[in-house]
Amino acid sequence: MSRNSLKWLPAIVVPAVVITGIVALPLQAGAAVDLPDKSAKDVLLMVADSDVTAFSGEVEKTANLGLPSMDVSAGLSPGMVDQMSEQVPEGMEDFVPGAAATGAMAAALELFSGSHTARVYVDGPDKVRVQVQDSLAERNIVSNGTDAWLYDSESNTATHAEIPAELTADIEEKIAAAQVLAPADLSTPSQIADRFLSEIDPSTTVSVGTDGVVAGRSAYELILTPKTTETLVESVSIAVDSETGLPLGVTVRAVGQEDPAFRAAFTEIDLSAPASTLFDFTPPAGATVDELAVPEMTDGQKPELTPEQQAEVDALRAAPPVVTGEAWSTVVELPADTIPAELRENELLAELTTEVDGGRVLSTSLVNVLLATDGRVFAGSVPVAQLQAAASAQ
Amino acid sequence: MSSSDVTPSTTTATADAPRSRVPLGLDLVGSELSVLFRRRRTWAMLVAVALIPILLAIAVRLSSDTLAPGEGPPFLDRVTQNGLFVGFTAMIVGIPLFLPLTIGVVAGDTIAGEAGQGTLRYLLTAPAGRVRLLLVKYIGAAAFCVAAAFTLMIVGILIGALLFPVGPVTLLSGDVISVPESLLRSLLVASYVTVSLLGLSAIGLFISTLTDVPVGAMAATIVVSVVAQILDVLPQLSWLHPWLFSHYWLGFADLLRQPLDLGSFADNILVQLCYIAVFGALAYSRFSTKDILS
Repeated sequence: MSRNSLKWLPAIVVPAVVITGIVALPLQAGAAVDLPDKSAKDVLLMVADSDVTAFSGEVEKTANLGLPSMDVSAGLSPGMVDQMSEQVPEGMEDFVPGAAATGAMAAALELFSGSHTARVYVDGPDKVRVQVQDSLAERNIVSNGTDAWLYDSESNTATHAEIPAELTADIEEKIAAAQVLAPADLSTPSQIADRFLSEIDPSTTVSVGTDGVVAGRSAYELILTPKTTETLVESVSIAVDSETGLPLGVTVRAVGQEDPAFRAAFTEIDLSAPASTLFDFTPPAGATVDELAVPEMTDGQKPELTPEQQAEVDALRAAPPVVTGEAWSTVVELPADTIPAELRENELLAELTTEVDGGRVLSTSLVNVLLATDGRVFAGSVPVAQLQAAASAQ
Repeated sequence: MSSSDVTPSTTTATADAPRSRVPLGLDLVGSELSVLFRRRRTWAMLVAVALIPILLAIAVRLSSDTLAPGEGPPFLDRVTQNGLFVGFTAMIVGIPLFLPLTIGVVAGDTIAGEAGQGTLRYLLTAPAGRVRLLLVKYIGAAAFCVAAAFTLMIVGILIGALLFPVGPVTLLSGDVISVPESLLRSLLVASYVTVSLLGLSAIGLFISTLTDVPVGAMAATIVVSVVAQILDVLPQLSWLHPWLFSHYWLGFADLLRQPLDLGSFADNILVQLCYIAVFGALAYSRFSTKDILS
């Protein structure tokens, strides 16, 4: 009998060991590290002094804004919209732009819901490749200084845009010019850090939190906490690599929510320069290639705009968004007609918003948007009541 | 002349003697594999697995409609341009149900099948030992995982090459790789799927020690694989997802990215090893204390 019960030992011990390992390993990885103490200014200086220009890594983004997690983008791919526009009966074409708007909106919403993983490759300021990894699909953004490509494996389409040479040349000149023009007391990073801290001091407390480990590297945590209570943001914390000063992650916490509302951080990082072939992109055979027209730069002057774009710019100039409140409790007001009526009547939008006094509210844990009945839009990281107050004040 | 006649016979004699005495397990593995792969049922299942890419390729070849990207299973629209995609598409179609089904039959049959036929007693009267028998049975099930995954992939490549043009393969990242490299990646995908099925095989082996009715063990194993996949889509259980044996089943897509991403392969191996350890231990404890009546 005792021999038999001994034989049951592995059945108990092995699962116990495996479960302990599963529970203990992540705890150990997230264990607190003890770095030499630094002030908030020192950490800011490290970020400013950081000379990392090339790295590759994996970034994980998790958004938990209280929006329903939607898979609408998958349900309505651009290909399907194209197909619909071919198949709609005559006289019904008006429906399709609405559906296309839904697709664009779903893509925007996607960023703010659920989690995504992306691999990022950076070499210098103008060579960037981002690979957003979807299940059995991938979206690529490649920029090598002269060309920018967007490739979507699911629809097998590549979008190409040429980057005007002046644009890249200009950046360095402009930075040099800005440095000359900068006030004398901002000539060193240390002074810039001082200035930054004193500028945000009235609204924000800047502190250094507990040291932690991000992507296997020890990191300082710089925490920005709003001083006002009239905001939905509880804190914004930035993880800064203790060796190189490279920011490794951002976490935004919302008031009254335990899980971070938004978090984007490296899960893996390699500080060596990625292979240069990664930045050369040739659209694969069989892919649909769209050329994206970039407005021509004439003599380094204002870019030429199409009449429609010009109209948009003029409209924006005529009625600029009204900003009330300050710092964290800023409320932005957009005039009526900014949002096209068809988007307003969009079913997806109706599903997302709730009826309140004076309009409909799109409520998330970080941002509230009030679509007033008269067409104006109010948005801010503030409680709904404040948006309603702003709407009724004018 | 006479000396040369003598030498080989003496060397074989000395080599044979330890081989037959010490690694008795190897002989057992050999006989288990030959029994497994001489069974008509095993061949029927491999043929069924091979039919997935064949039917898929023929259906695409015969249909006149060109598929829009994003329609149907992933990669299906690429098949007409490049036959090498047949293997990948067939793998995506096969892994949720067809492959687990065949694994369920083989793994569920391991011990219960012998018990049901009344041959388990005789197997154990030979000085094999229960642990060794369990190991041999598991190796047999693992060999079937290899056979099933590679049959699916290789038949997919062959039928694709037969019916469609073959050329450089476009990866998910938009980069293009040569035909030899894509064949290498296909084999890597087949190895990934083999590894994916090892955890389920261990579960099947354990369930097989619980009963003397092989059909029951087979059905239970298949049910477990379906239940795991259902749990994997419930957002309320997201904490559990990374530890479900089926969670990384479709992760072989990471092998089709450029640069090659082996991260999910490593995660997959770790999860499968956990399942093999846990259910191997459970199977050992159950089988070594079991009263063998048949």
